[in-house]
Amino acid sequence: MSDTAATLTQDRQKLEMAALSAPAVIFTVAMIAFPVIYTVWLGFQTFSSTGKQSFAGLANYSKLISDYEFWHGLWITIALFVLSLVLQLVFGVWLALVLFHAKRLPGIVRSLFISPFMMPPVVAGMMWLVILDPSLGAANYILQLFGLPPSDWLASPIWVIPTVALIDSWQWTPYVALIVLGGLQSLPPSVYEAAQIDGASPFKTFQRITLPLLLPTIVTAAILRSVDLLRFFDIIYITTQGGPGNASNTLNIYGFRVGFEFFNIGYASALMLTLTAIVFGAVLAFNRLRGAVAW
Amino acid sequence: MKARMFATHVALPVLAIAAVSVQANAADFDWMKFKGKTVTFLANNNPVAQALLTYKADFEKLTGMTLKVDGYQEQQMRQRLVTVMNANSDEVDVFMTLPSREGEQFAAAGWYGDLTAMAKNEVAKEYDPAGLSQALLKAATFGGKLTSMPMNLEGPIFYYRTDIFKKCGLEAPKTIKDVEAAAEKIKACDSAVTPFVSRGLKPAVAYTFSNMLHNVGGTYIANGKSNLCSAKGKEALDTYSRLLRDFGPPGVVNYSFQQISALYRGGRAAMAFESSNELRTVMEGGARLKDTGLLPFPAGEAGQVPTTIGWGMAVSSHSKQPDAAWYFVQWATSPEVQKKMALQGIAPPRPSVANDPEYRKWIDEEPVRKEWQAALDVLATKGSSEVGYPIVANPQSREFIGQAVQDLILKQKTVDQACADADKALDALIALN
Repeated sequence: MSDTAATLTQDRQKLEMAALSAPAVIFTVAMIAFPVIYTVWLGFQTFSSTGKQSFAGLANYSKLISDYEFWHGLWITIALFVLSLVLQLVFGVWLALVLFHAKRLPGIVRSLFISPFMMPPVVAGMMWLVILDPSLGAANYILQLFGLPPSDWLASPIWVIPTVALIDSWQWTPYVALIVLGGLQSLPPSVYEAAQIDGASPFKTFQRITLPLLLPTIVTAAILRSVDLLRFFDIIYITTQGGPGNASNTLNIYGFRVGFEFFNIGYASALMLTLTAIVFGAVLAFNRLRGAVAW
Repeated sequence: MKARMFATHVALPVLAIAAVSVQANAADFDWMKFKGKTVTFLANNNPVAQALLTYKADFEKLTGMTLKVDGYQEQQMRQRLVTVMNANSDEVDVFMTLPSREGEQFAAAGWYGDLTAMAKNEVAKEYDPAGLSQALLKAATFGGKLTSMPMNLEGPIFYYRTDIFKKCGLEAPKTIKDVEAAAEKIKACDSAVTPFVSRGLKPAVAYTFSNMLHNVGGTYIANGKSNLCSAKGKEALDTYSRLLRDFGPPGVVNYSFQQISALYRGGRAAMAFESSNELRTVMEGGARLKDTGLLPFPAGEAGQVPTTIGWGMAVSSHSKQPDAAWYFVQWATSPEVQKKMALQGIAPPRPSVANDPEYRKWIDEEPVRKEWQAALDVLATKGSSEVGYPIVANPQSREFIGQAVQDLILKQKTVDQACADADKALDALIALN
């Protein structure tokens, strides 16, 4: 076959491949691009309480700057994000180590350890709402059994965020543990053998070998959890609806209420695009960190 | 602004015309006219819709139409509706609505189909539109257009434990001051129970608080301005929040109907101020059947001005088959169906059903049902449908009322600070009206 004929055949093959994959590519792009473009467009519109729509330019974004609820929501979002992420990473690594070393743990116990994250968040929210009810719930009953004072839990403006962070950590720590456990199982045994020969203590082995080698895996888990934590919605919506007052009014809850309860879809779109930018920023930052700790 | 007093709205022109025309059109009415069509119903998955949809098959048999039900919890239903209506979609033909909450807003947005002509011209002989609560119909009329047909009648009522009252030497309260005095006495007499419980969750507060405000003689708006800092407004805010703070359960700021009903049904509250719709839930298991008394909320300086609302069925303005949709609305709000629903504990918005012998027999079976019906009779005759501010942004106004009450329950502000902050925010909302 001549060179020209071979080139023609290759071009034809490329064309066929492009034609065959085009519908899937177009569909995927449309499914991702359309909602984003539509939301961007909505962010430049203003809607009156009656749903009347008009072009607003950047008014929705300039309103964000002077909106107390936006800054408050941002602060609550960040506080919840940091608290939950730290809890989940610390306890996730701990749980992974327990599961890794307790090799004789029965399968059912392992399954129980990791079962919370398989529960729908709505069910988890409802369950904790009942447990933490200051009057009817089991949590205060247990505290009182140990002579401790009862707490208002989700009804306290001070304790609501730590309580929500605890609920989310209860649910998602096993997920982090599962990721870290995968990382632990892939670590090279030769490094541990060398450490053992050198007489390193278990703590030194963890500090100097396990943790540094696990860092890329931990950062991956952090990325996955960050996306969810910055968009935190379901458990708060079920348990407090942003209250008491506005003590748990995260950006996502605030945006939802502005859009679907007060019908200001334009401003809600601006809020949600800002939140999307924050999520992207966090993912990019963690990705860079992941690059830095890769081995 | 004056509350919409039910007693003052006895005559409704649109219904008067309808009543005259009914006889002429009823003879031509054919339930099978839209046989083969499919009507989509966006339903709130509450006891009212649940009771109605028990008879879905009856509607399909009667009309030959298919009823497609799209059911959600209340907030999710509104979320779906907003999406559908903003897209000008004809996906939904009929939807459930609370005129007291979103009526002004949806009417101004043009989301309600106009039922005026259909209620006049397209009615079956047995429908009797004039037999529906005139006051609820009035509350569903915006700009002269009838926007929905009432499905039920409801409002917050006062549940109290007769055994605890007897043990503590108390009489049934007649005034708000009696409620406070009873709460004080129960706190000392029976420390195991919560003396008083009502709604503390921010978006839910307005439903019960409005009754308190109206009973003490307060109004939401005076001279075009928010009026919470008036003497009566402050009295209502102070009394409502004090009752919950000093005599309510811990964590009451997260309490809505689910928690209140659970607390009362479990025997852990002596007094509860909650929706008449919760009777069935409260009586589940039968533990409260013999020791509960029911009243409209006790009087304030202005007497008893109970909150009375009702769910309505509206036809979407984007529906491509409003006539077929109307047939479903008509069937669902007919005397026959409303009687069946009443026997399931859904308070009927038709006096004729409320007086039906079969329904009366059901009511007479239990003293607590009799008291429930007596309280509903007061709601029907004296009630106000004003829950929150009578403005287009009513749902948002409820947030600020709830915020003021929560600030007081949590002792984060004084009454003066809480009402002033609320008035400032609410004046801005009123200005947008």
